[in-house]
Amino acid sequence: MWGVTFADLRYRYRQFLIAVIGAGLVLAMALLMSGLVGGFTAETDWTVGGVGAQRWVLAANSHGSIAGSEVFPQSDVAVIARSHGVTRAAPLVIALAQVARIGRYTRSVEVFGVQIGNMGDPAVTSGHALSGSGQAVADVGAGVTTGAQITVGAMPFRVVGQVSNRTMLAGVPILYVSLRDAQALSFGGRPLVTAVVTRGIPAMVPAGLTVLSNQAIEQRLLANLSGAVSSINNSKVVMWLVAAMIVAALLYVSALQRVRDFAVLKALGSSSLALFGSLALQAVVVTLLAAAFAMVISNFMGGLFKQPVAVPASAFATLPAVAVGVGLISSLVALRRATGADPAAAFGG
Amino acid sequence: MTAVSLSVKSLTVEFTSGGYKIRPLNGFSFEGDDGQLVVLLGPSGCGKTTMLSCLAGLLKPASGSIHFNDEEVTALRGGALAAYRRQTVGVVFQAFNLIPSLSARANVMVPLRLAGVPRKEARERATALLARVGLTERINHRPAQMSGGQQQRVAIARALVQDPPLVLADEPTAHLDYIQVEGILRLLRDLARPGRMVVVATHDERITNLADNVVELVPLLPAAQREPREVALGAGEFLFRQGEPSDLVYLIQSGEIEILREKSDGEEEHVTVIGPGGYFGELGPMLNLPRSASARALQPTVLTGHSVQQFRTLRPGKQVQR
Repeated sequence: MWGVTFADLRYRYRQFLIAVIGAGLVLAMALLMSGLVGGFTAETDWTVGGVGAQRWVLAANSHGSIAGSEVFPQSDVAVIARSHGVTRAAPLVIALAQVARIGRYTRSVEVFGVQIGNMGDPAVTSGHALSGSGQAVADVGAGVTTGAQITVGAMPFRVVGQVSNRTMLAGVPILYVSLRDAQALSFGGRPLVTAVVTRGIPAMVPAGLTVLSNQAIEQRLLANLSGAVSSINNSKVVMWLVAAMIVAALLYVSALQRVRDFAVLKALGSSSLALFGSLALQAVVVTLLAAAFAMVISNFMGGLFKQPVAVPASAFATLPAVAVGVGLISSLVALRRATGADPAAAFGG
Repeated sequence: MTAVSLSVKSLTVEFTSGGYKIRPLNGFSFEGDDGQLVVLLGPSGCGKTTMLSCLAGLLKPASGSIHFNDEEVTALRGGALAAYRRQTVGVVFQAFNLIPSLSARANVMVPLRLAGVPRKEARERATALLARVGLTERINHRPAQMSGGQQQRVAIARALVQDPPLVLADEPTAHLDYIQVEGILRLLRDLARPGRMVVVATHDERITNLADNVVELVPLLPAAQREPREVALGAGEFLFRQGEPSDLVYLIQSGEIEILREKSDGEEEHVTVIGPGGYFGELGPMLNLPRSASARALQPTVLTGHSVQQFRTLRPGKQVQR
């Protein structure tokens, strides 16, 4: 029966090829959905981890979120720096959801005010690092080149360097400026900060502040995206169902075309179970080929998204299993055609 | 070589079509002997293919029996029936019915592989059989790449691959030109030899010249020579029932006849009532078809039955009635 199964795959290869490509595109989209969720985690890890801190000190009423607006005096930085266990401390001003004007265009950016040369000041991939007021280093996702003028609020900046993989909250690029510029932008120049990052673990911090690990900061940032993650995961399930429907439609048409073949095979001694097994095997072969196709083309489809796409290895590993499941489910539509074939119908002309 | 014999007794097959009970075979009997080429002859719709389906063990009759050698085929179930289908019967289907995706050799191998014969052995046997039917050069061709005659030869090779003692062929000449017909008929004739019986269902009367035994599924009734027959029925009495063989056209002298159809659920469907001077039942005898409805007297009724020819003479230009 397997010989008949594979011979039929070869015989109807155009039909099966269309299903492989269709289901493959949909499975590739499902992979990219996994990649989007993975991208949220990856960008948070790159951005928070890229600061180089071991601990973050935030206002206690920020509830662990650097995306809030709670501030504390910059003078606390010195207190924290002197705390037992701390070898280094740096202030940060994080101002989220700022609108930047780049030429005739505007786009959202997250502004990170950093102490030049200290933790948080990013290593550039092109141009040079911040060296003074009025300068900015932008993530490549902002779409500005070194030397370009950019205006945030009423403050003009000149882009002196670029960094990569420095985004937050689903791909919003980060714009690094000096601490003083960020304070001027957000607090009218008052000496306030939104976070202090440290090397070493502070034994104690001033009242009203709290100490958090990188992991806690990342989890809190990702919590802001939980709704999007849920929607994407649901979309991924829908993608699997669409893939199943594509393969099911192919199998159903194929089963309709093969009703006489099924009757002849039954008349020649095949069982209903063997016929269904043959259809199920075809479905699994098609979905596995679609999965392989999806794995290849998903590498080229990441550019469709502005957000970072990092398809986790687990998604690649589980896709074949998903494909087998999708194949088996889709083969159920042809179950009745295979098992219901009347061997006496083989006598028909 | 074991001698074979076939005995079909009072075989009735009944199924439902469009809500009505259909009996393509109604108490049909025939016998076949060892080495015979048996031809089941009859027009379309007379039950030839139904007969072959029963012989192949693919269709269960409502009543009657089929014995092949000492085995009652109609009593076989489950594994025994599957073994009978695989080992005792080889079928050449109408329109060849080869698997289009498989080569000629792979088509012939299918029954062997389904029976668990190892691939290598199945391949050798299929190759040898295709050589026997003259298709050595076509073993790797798909059905679509072969002529009708070549496809029929592949179908015959497939039917023979288990060396069955009973070979059934359904309208083996239906899709062939006369050159191909000659080759196929010679092949079928040669297959009927001691230890094997070949049963061919056909409407092609030319084949009867080659047959050892011709079985007419719809006997040609000598109705044309019959004298008119007067029939008297009491109220509620049936003149004929749906599915019975047709022979005469009836003219009503007195009384009333209800024409009705018997449905598969046991219900009756009223068609019409015919009174004195009316007639019915012409189409069945004219086309050699079974009665498509039943006729029942609603009151004491007297009728005269005529052959179709007599009826045409009596009533020229009359419309055909059921």
